[in-house]
Amino acid sequence: MTLHRSVRARLQSVIVAGTLLSLCAVPVFAEDASIRAEKLFANRVLGMFKTKCFVCHGEDAEDLRGEFNMLSLDGLLKGGESKTPSIVPGKPEESPLYLAVQWRDLEMPPKENDRLTEEQIRYLKEWILGGAPWPNEARRTELVQDAENEWNVTNGVTVQTSGGLIDEWTQRQYEPEHLWAYRPLRIDATEGWANESSHPIDWFINRRIAELELDAAPAADRRTLIRRATFDLIGLPPTPEEVTRFVDDPLPDDRALTKVVERLLASPHYGEQWARHWLDVVRYADSSGYANDYERGNAWRYRDYVVRAFNEDKPYDQFVREQIAGDEIAESNEELLIAAGFLRMGPWELTAMEVPKVARQRFLDDVTDAVGQVFLGHMLQCARCHDHKFDPVPTRDYYSMQAIFATTQLAERKAEFLPKENRDGFEERQYLQERQAFYEKALRDLNKKRSVEAAHAWFKEKGLDPTKFNVALGELKEKSEDTQPKVSFDQVRKLLQKRGTHPDLIPPRHVGFEARDFGMERIARKGIERLKWRLQRYQPIAFSVYSGRTPKLKSVNAPLPIPEEPMKTGELEETCILAGGDPFSPTTPVTPGVLSAANTLSDVSADDASIPTGIVGRRLALAEWIVSERNPLTSRVMVNRIWQWHFNQALAGNPNNFGTTGKKPSHPELLDWLAWTFMKEGWSVKSMHRLIMSSETYRRASQHPQPKTLALQDPNGISYARFRPRRLEAEELRDAMLSVSGELNPAVGGIPVRPEMNMEAALQPRQVMGTFAEAWQPSPLPRQRHRRSLYALRLRGLRDPFLQVFNAPAPDLSCEAREASNVTPQVFALFNSEISFDRAIAMANRVLKEKSSGERTIDRLFRLAFGRVPKPDETEACLAHWDRMTTRHRGLTFAPPAYPREVVREAVEENTGERFTFVEPLEMYADFVPDLKASDVGPELRGLAEVCLVLLNSNEFAYVY
Amino acid sequence: MPPLTSKRRNSRREFLYGLGATLGSVALTALLPADRAQAASVGPLTPKKGHLPSKAKNCIFLMMEGGPSHIDTFDPKPKLAELHLQEFTRTGEMKSAMESGKRYYVESPFKFRKAGKSGADIAENWHHLAHCVDDICFYRGCQVDSVNHPTAMYQMNTGNRFGGGPAMGSWVTYGLGSPNQNLPGFIVLPEVSYPQGGAANWGNGFLPAYYQGTPLRPKGSPILDLEPMPGVTRAHQRENLDLLASLNKAHASEHPQHDDLAARMEAYELAFRMQMQVPGILDMNQEDARTLDLYGIDREPTDGFGRRCLLARRLVEAGVRFVQVYAGTWDSHDYIERAHGNLVRSVDQPIAALLTDLKRRGLLESTLVIWCGEFGRSPDNGIRGGTAFGRDHNPHAMTIWMAGGGVNAGHTIGATDETGAEAVECVHHVRDLHVTLLHLLGLDDNKLTYFHGGRFKQLSQFGGEVISELIA
Repeated sequence: MTLHRSVRARLQSVIVAGTLLSLCAVPVFAEDASIRAEKLFANRVLGMFKTKCFVCHGEDAEDLRGEFNMLSLDGLLKGGESKTPSIVPGKPEESPLYLAVQWRDLEMPPKENDRLTEEQIRYLKEWILGGAPWPNEARRTELVQDAENEWNVTNGVTVQTSGGLIDEWTQRQYEPEHLWAYRPLRIDATEGWANESSHPIDWFINRRIAELELDAAPAADRRTLIRRATFDLIGLPPTPEEVTRFVDDPLPDDRALTKVVERLLASPHYGEQWARHWLDVVRYADSSGYANDYERGNAWRYRDYVVRAFNEDKPYDQFVREQIAGDEIAESNEELLIAAGFLRMGPWELTAMEVPKVARQRFLDDVTDAVGQVFLGHMLQCARCHDHKFDPVPTRDYYSMQAIFATTQLAERKAEFLPKENRDGFEERQYLQERQAFYEKALRDLNKKRSVEAAHAWFKEKGLDPTKFNVALGELKEKSEDTQPKVSFDQVRKLLQKRGTHPDLIPPRHVGFEARDFGMERIARKGIERLKWRLQRYQPIAFSVYSGRTPKLKSVNAPLPIPEEPMKTGELEETCILAGGDPFSPTTPVTPGVLSAANTLSDVSADDASIPTGIVGRRLALAEWIVSERNPLTSRVMVNRIWQWHFNQALAGNPNNFGTTGKKPSHPELLDWLAWTFMKEGWSVKSMHRLIMSSETYRRASQHPQPKTLALQDPNGISYARFRPRRLEAEELRDAMLSVSGELNPAVGGIPVRPEMNMEAALQPRQVMGTFAEAWQPSPLPRQRHRRSLYALRLRGLRDPFLQVFNAPAPDLSCEAREASNVTPQVFALFNSEISFDRAIAMANRVLKEKSSGERTIDRLFRLAFGRVPKPDETEACLAHWDRMTTRHRGLTFAPPAYPREVVREAVEENTGERFTFVEPLEMYADFVPDLKASDVGPELRGLAEVCLVLLNSNEFAYVY
Repeated sequence: MPPLTSKRRNSRREFLYGLGATLGSVALTALLPADRAQAASVGPLTPKKGHLPSKAKNCIFLMMEGGPSHIDTFDPKPKLAELHLQEFTRTGEMKSAMESGKRYYVESPFKFRKAGKSGADIAENWHHLAHCVDDICFYRGCQVDSVNHPTAMYQMNTGNRFGGGPAMGSWVTYGLGSPNQNLPGFIVLPEVSYPQGGAANWGNGFLPAYYQGTPLRPKGSPILDLEPMPGVTRAHQRENLDLLASLNKAHASEHPQHDDLAARMEAYELAFRMQMQVPGILDMNQEDARTLDLYGIDREPTDGFGRRCLLARRLVEAGVRFVQVYAGTWDSHDYIERAHGNLVRSVDQPIAALLTDLKRRGLLESTLVIWCGEFGRSPDNGIRGGTAFGRDHNPHAMTIWMAGGGVNAGHTIGATDETGAEAVECVHHVRDLHVTLLHLLGLDDNKLTYFHGGRFKQLSQFGGEVISELIA
């Protein structure tokens, strides 16, 4: 058999070479090279042609790009419209095809995403060098079988999955290094550590630093450390007293820091800071986005659930279960119903303009991908239309995962308030009720305009015959039993329509309306609709889901209750693979399932991975698979995030993408060891903080003793030989300003608040479906406005410009890491805005009220802002500035602020195309209590406020080291 | 060169030019020592050569948000006169609530004429634009995916209907840089009221923040907090800046390895200068009375849009790469005669003026002007009160037109069916339009990519083809 094969192979290669000879007069190649080339062709090159080239150059004979057909060797040798052969066997550098795949001369494949890898280019080169043999199919099969072991071992591995849409995909091979995330955790690497006394994290990190022949930076000083630790864990600056206590603590650094860490972990603000990170990943917002951007009145309860989960150190596996399947775990548990709101965090709506099935599919796609990115580090949406281009995720897996959610339905569910939920401020409901009354009155007034008299005027204006109208009117009057019958315009109009009167002779339904009336009618009607969502905020309702059949929805304009018979009415969705992701092109049906590669490559057992097919329980089974200790993805994904939120860079550089295209872990053994430890410690996030923050690695200074060597040896800054400084994130910056100004209200949880926003942005008209969105009215009382930024109402359609310019992410896509770009609008927001100056005034006022003066004042300001005392020249400069500014302010007068009670909206009315204006009342300003303003204080305080403004703008305030 | 040095320089010049991208007209190089200036010559907004030769260098994108009706503007459908008010019923799960149920056809209330040498179809109420049709290429073959305003707007503006992607203006400035380093490369002139979907329509998405569209607000501060508080003079601010600089300098000396510090310091200085520069660019008094009159400025109903069109020209002239101008809302579900009639009255003269003005200044050759909405409108309507003649959204047919550098002017490309319900000739998905627009500006969509979220992303999302019929 073997002999037979090899003889045939030899024969064939001779034939191929012979063909080449006759065509191109190249020499016969050495047997080895040509057989190697054949193997290459069968195992690599042909598959590459199939996926990268044939679509345009072969598959569609009618539409051959550049008249170039690659389906056969003849075609390759013939070339395309240029009439030159695309390959010159034996001579890659003279082969246009070889040049084109390197984007030299021609650029093929034309899309950046489809470009060949260096390895693929090498295969092509070797194949051409080896004479470009093209063995027939039978021979190729043999070559593939022959080579199976050799190729798999040397060049890649096939991954057993549920199977691709095409066989080539199923058979394709992966570089082993791209599959790291699926492999079982490797903790054997810690063996060397067992005998050492060092901290395990330091052992891993220092080993690499030593390999790079680097020194590690020394420990940061205590002031730097406490500022770092405090911002890290609670997102606020340490108070001057906390700094002093830590600096004066006689214990050694590590033990003194441990005390600080324990204090911070016990603070309720810890949960706020870490919930904020989590909410970036899940895309939390208080509104639906898109056309209506309806408020999600009850979403805040999910936000507070996340805060509680971190504060209570809820084991991460349980945290995952509750968010994916809280409602399936226990339907009567309010907390769990709230947790399942996670599944609805993406933007979603169903308007009457949209095809309901398409909108449903949007939800399914969103939730499938969200679970992939958030918990599994997988961008699943890539597999929606085709098998994943880079990762072993077949489209079948995508739809199997999606089938888990086929019985997941959206609902606002009854869930009593829990004693631990903050229910303060519900009285703000009165403002919404006021608005409701305003809209209702507007509608009543407008309706009066649509009168019989207006209809008469319309006939007159149009010069039309009103006879039919009048006849109908008369008849209706006669029918009435009143002595003075009141017949409405609508009644007459209805009768005329019923009689089939010519439409030209029926006055329009909005007869009597002027341009602004059309606009006002719509605003009032839609305004009432929008209030329904907002008024839900104070109800014991959870923004949640249930398992059931899919109800028939036409559009969703009001909160959705659970239907009466969720298991009986509606469609029981059968999930199919959708061709091109189109819900109207179902192909093969699939059953609920999970990522097959994550099972076959790791130790997950079949039981872990089995998902029931009943209506209820699919999500719970998914959650159990995700948190199975044998699932290698989950713990790695979470410890990687925790690491990133401490060090401002992740071990695996793309926390949402552990696949081929994501950055590979810089310290894979450490990542695995952390993941293993995380599970061993009962999935305790707080344990991870303790572990990380007790390492030397965490305590390192941000200045390195040999910066040049460091830059040479570690150009990408991933050695952790020094600590990487970071700019405060948008919310931290605002919260820190409120904290040092003494205005911060430390209350935890509760309904969203509305801080003051740049007034022009707050009143900026913004269109939503058929109307304007409501103006942003700040909460009336300072203590309401000065809550932490986490609690600020987060609308997808109106983002606070201050937070936005400082890189707060839009809540549409999952944010795996914040950016910290440096652009000028930040300067305008922080240096020019009234909001900033208000903080500066409050800070100045705070310090002056403490009865300090002169140098002691400046001293106090520096301690508050930077956690240190000023140097003599700083004190001097600040005192001189205070003085100069006080003089300047003596010549300035500030008018007390005037707040608007209404805002005039101007827009083009869609019915008439005419501009119209509408006056929106601003009810909350009736009770508005301003912050301390420039007009409230004297020149000396304002002068000091200028110093404060400078401190708040300084780099020392904005960066954490 | 040791990596440290090059890294530092990169970081510094990147920041400087990022700042330059949103700053006033300061000659940046003047702020830098000569060697730095040299290094800085490749900042993120430095003009770059495109991938292809092209006539158009700049772009003015007239976005008619709300979905203007092709049937009532540039694509006459006499058949609808026959069908007028004929009722029919449409059902099916592939239909939205809007499209299904009882429907009736609606004829256009506007009369059409053939205009120009090219004999282009145009509704009679476009009195001014009718004189420009020979400079225009009308395209009737484009289709989009979405029937909702914000998602369709996102798709037209960013290629991605779910939002979050970079706008076309961001892609273009990313690809070509911008001639004037001291102004943003991509400026948006919205209506007083922002369109549905809001600022995400001009967001930079995953591209760096330098490529974000900067809206110049038509009322109030053109840029939020551009001016300091009332009473604060420049001298006053300068003193604050000086104290800030001295504190920052001392701080930087203690953190010599922290590259961001210098950039953040520069940002404050550049912002200070920008406050001076922007108002001049917005000052219409620099234009002569004839020009103001041409655009219909200082009289209704053309004043608002006329000002934005004139400002668009001024910005392009000043070296801004991409300007997007909004007008709307064209969402005429009812009373289309009145609604579209009024809208056309407000934009007709300003648009014609823009084309005329660009042409006479020799700028039309190098400027691509695009007019479009997010979708077209349906030939039929639901029974909204029976006689409220309007039209619903229609993603299957629309008219887009282009003028200026490289377009096949004087031609009408593609066609819709006899009622205007669906494009039937030269039909292309909007992704191909995007590819074509980039092509006209000298950019190859397949090469204008940015690696994000695990793949090279592009405006067309997954690639597309050039609609060669639209190109001269």
